[in-house]
Amino acid sequence: MSEDDRPIPRKVSQADDLAPEGVYPPTEEMLSEPVPADLQKAQADRLRKAWVAPTGIRYVTAVNNSEVGVWYSMTAFAFMLIAGVMALIIRLQLAFPENDLISADRFNQLFTMHGSAMMFLFAVPIFEAIAILILPGFLSARDLPFPRLSAYGYWCFLIGGISVIGSVFVDAGPTAGWFMYPPLATQDEGIGSDIWLLGLSFIEVASIAAAVELIVGTLKCRPPGMRVNIMPLYAWYVLVVGGMILFAFPPLIAGDFLFELERSFDWPFFDPTRGGDPLLWQHLFWIFGHPEVYIVFLPSIAIAAMVVPTVAQRPIVGYSWIVLSAVGTGFLSFGLWVHHMFTTGLPSISLGFFSAASEAVVIPTGIQLFAFLATLMVGRVRVNLPMLWIAGGLAIFTAGGLTGVMLAMAPFDFQAHDSYFVVAHLHYTLFGGMVFPVIAGVYYFFPFARKKLLSERLGRIAFWLIFVGFNVTFLPMHWVGLLGMPRRIYTFPGGLGWDTVNLMSTIASFLIAAGFAVFAWDVIRPKTRQPQIPRNPWGGGTLEWTHDVPEELWGTRSIPYVTSRYPLWDDPKLLERLDSGRYYLPDAETVRRETMVTSVIDAKPLLIQKVTGPSWLPLLAAVFTGGAFIFPTFHVYPPAIASGAVALAIIILWLWRETSWPPEHEMRDAGLGLRLPNYAAGPNSVGWWAMWITMLGDATAFASVVFAFFYYWTSSADFPPVAMPDPDRALVGLAVVGLLLAWAATVSAAWLNARARVTAARAALIVAPVAAAGGAAALVLSVIGLSPSTHVYPAVMCALAIWVVVHAGVGIVMQLYCLAASVAGKMTPRHDADIQNVTLYWHFHLIAVLVTCAVMGLAPGVMR
Amino acid sequence: MKTPQEPRAQEERREFREEAESLFRITFAPVIWAAHFLLCYCTLAVVCAKGGDPDFWRTALVGLTLVALLAITWTGWRAWRQWDAHNTGDYANARGEDEDRHQFLGQAALLLAIISAIGVIYTALPLVLVEGCR
Repeated sequence: MSEDDRPIPRKVSQADDLAPEGVYPPTEEMLSEPVPADLQKAQADRLRKAWVAPTGIRYVTAVNNSEVGVWYSMTAFAFMLIAGVMALIIRLQLAFPENDLISADRFNQLFTMHGSAMMFLFAVPIFEAIAILILPGFLSARDLPFPRLSAYGYWCFLIGGISVIGSVFVDAGPTAGWFMYPPLATQDEGIGSDIWLLGLSFIEVASIAAAVELIVGTLKCRPPGMRVNIMPLYAWYVLVVGGMILFAFPPLIAGDFLFELERSFDWPFFDPTRGGDPLLWQHLFWIFGHPEVYIVFLPSIAIAAMVVPTVAQRPIVGYSWIVLSAVGTGFLSFGLWVHHMFTTGLPSISLGFFSAASEAVVIPTGIQLFAFLATLMVGRVRVNLPMLWIAGGLAIFTAGGLTGVMLAMAPFDFQAHDSYFVVAHLHYTLFGGMVFPVIAGVYYFFPFARKKLLSERLGRIAFWLIFVGFNVTFLPMHWVGLLGMPRRIYTFPGGLGWDTVNLMSTIASFLIAAGFAVFAWDVIRPKTRQPQIPRNPWGGGTLEWTHDVPEELWGTRSIPYVTSRYPLWDDPKLLERLDSGRYYLPDAETVRRETMVTSVIDAKPLLIQKVTGPSWLPLLAAVFTGGAFIFPTFHVYPPAIASGAVALAIIILWLWRETSWPPEHEMRDAGLGLRLPNYAAGPNSVGWWAMWITMLGDATAFASVVFAFFYYWTSSADFPPVAMPDPDRALVGLAVVGLLLAWAATVSAAWLNARARVTAARAALIVAPVAAAGGAAALVLSVIGLSPSTHVYPAVMCALAIWVVVHAGVGIVMQLYCLAASVAGKMTPRHDADIQNVTLYWHFHLIAVLVTCAVMGLAPGVMR
Repeated sequence: MKTPQEPRAQEERREFREEAESLFRITFAPVIWAAHFLLCYCTLAVVCAKGGDPDFWRTALVGLTLVALLAITWTGWRAWRQWDAHNTGDYANARGEDEDRHQFLGQAALLLAIISAIGVIYTALPLVLVEGCR
């Protein structure tokens, strides 16, 4: 068949003819060719101009990772200090038997908020904060791929965090403990539980946003040549932890969704009198909660993996073994959740599985510690301050790990459950596995982030105060726990042998506080008189130490070509070439922010990615998203809905203005004889990956809601109840037809558009939302006759319907967005990133629709 | 160290190309562990809640364990071949070559297969040691 009479126009999407052109990898000759001095200066000036930070009040519009990362870290640190003060008050109350310093209710608020804030406002966010701050440095990326998403996540975190932690100051805090067990939490009077649920859901969304940003950053923004086998271990850990967030947080979000439906509308998901089951919450919470321990531990130990080789002045021993540890721990940590539920009466054999997995996870966790020790043994160690903190952390963590092995044995846990032994254990793991390494990281990376050094002397004082204070506070708690002191009691009678131990803990806790005061002072004290620091103060070998001193905001002067794990040690010419702009993207001809996108496995250059700059939109979007979450706390819904609508409008505006417009030039010079495309769609683009990753998390949350349905079936003899009305089957069938049609129309639109049949594609994009709206309406009508507050069966049916209808609504907005983009010339047959991303969304949505409708339409008949 | 390098250079270059590789492959063995773990837990949870003969299902799950171990062994064997340290003498794969990346992913997959096999064996212990649904 000749070219002319082919029935279908050739696909014109850009993958066909827009590929990188020129030489790659660069030759040694090309790399050693000097750059003229005046050109260097002109390039540097343009780059500086493109990356200039906004000043004055507009400073808050900054989105660059170096600004957002610092705000994020400082905010998380501030929340940590507040939660620490709460711990001090708790300790004061427990200093003496029968103490009445604070009331029982106040005490409950304090320990609930201490745990919640330390976990949700400090431990997880500080990982995101530090990663946003330093990951681009490790990868010599100018910025992460979605700077505004980072900024949006930060503002969500700040607003959500203040609303949650602030509740304690107005005596309205949650009181049911940081894991919010029903029925205590569902039946709790006041708004405390709602603040916890809605405020933290809001922050969890920000966590998932950060996970998307960091995963895509690690996979797609590495410098040319940085294959997966030579990327810094920190990047491996970030990848694993990002993946874990995608599977761990969604079950909690699903749990929050059900929980808040119970609190607000009395849908009895956790109420056994109406078919619900409080244990379901425990499952959903701990499917999140245990991996979460590793989500905070792994990135902190990743800091150790960067500090240790520097201290030993040699490459890490057992790089692949550490990758094994990270990935292996990431998986195994999902098989541990029931060890928090050993005393709930599950069959012994079930406990056995989780006990076994809890013991197995020790192996990969231990391997990385041995790899560190081996590196130190064979290296020429120069102990510095960060290493002191790492060493202290490893000692404490090992003790916490050993009690963890004890608690993983069910019979021991039966004895120690909910006692101070557990309090001691969890503080040992978190201080050793998280707090100490993070502080080590602050000392180690402070010169990178702020171009100043922290004080060696103050650092040592802080270390010994915290190290000694910590052990004197928490070591005796093992003992008092075994003596029978339960956790969370607000006071205790004297004469049980607990008195001295508690007093000792209280006194020592002030040593910890003094240590943190010294540390905090060291961080915030003015350092203007400090002389300029050396560029690589610790003698590290990884790319973050190519940073500019004094500070430049461009991230890296040029993006290097990398061939080893420690480029600064292995390639003595790297720094000079990088500084003179000998590598990639040394210029910003258009004075716009750009970075380079490379391939996932081998980091081959793929395209020049435009990076967004300062804007009010992320901040405003976060404020209104906050409204959508915070108003429902007070059971006022119209302003919440209005607020959510405004947030959506702002986000659409943000995407419309800045993303995926056809570029002025299809190809541009990237330096070193390489020409790269300026536009990508589908798997080559970062947006497609972000959609894929987001939807993976979304699918996990959906699976958790479906899990709830089947869980009720196992936990109750009469589920689905015989006498209860079912969703209307005909309407459920109609919903499937409508949503299937909407999916098919979306896929057709993408297909037609790519073959230059623009009018037909637009027609399909008109059919698609209409069909989707019809399908969603049918689904609503199918459950409209059910009364969800009478029993958990109609409640779970309605929850599934809500889930699908809301997602269909988002899908409709996306379809209309593509239609508008096509009409406005933003989306063309060649530039079709928007419709490709939307198609991906609809693939995921179709799966959710089919599963939901099978559960609503077929399962009741089959399971009765 | 043996020297099999010379004749295979060109044809094997192609085998090491990026498109032939996927990061997901290193997760095969842990995914088998996860599937085995969930099947064991869910089967016995349902049997204990809804009725059924736990001892029959325990035996069946021991059979599943053997299948899982076989699958992991096969993954591990392939990874061992891919790592090829025995022939190349390169145990660290620290350089930025196609071949290093290829062998590194083999090594990572092998190590993960080992840890997954240990995990599966641990999970199987309660199947053998704990009777009934108490």
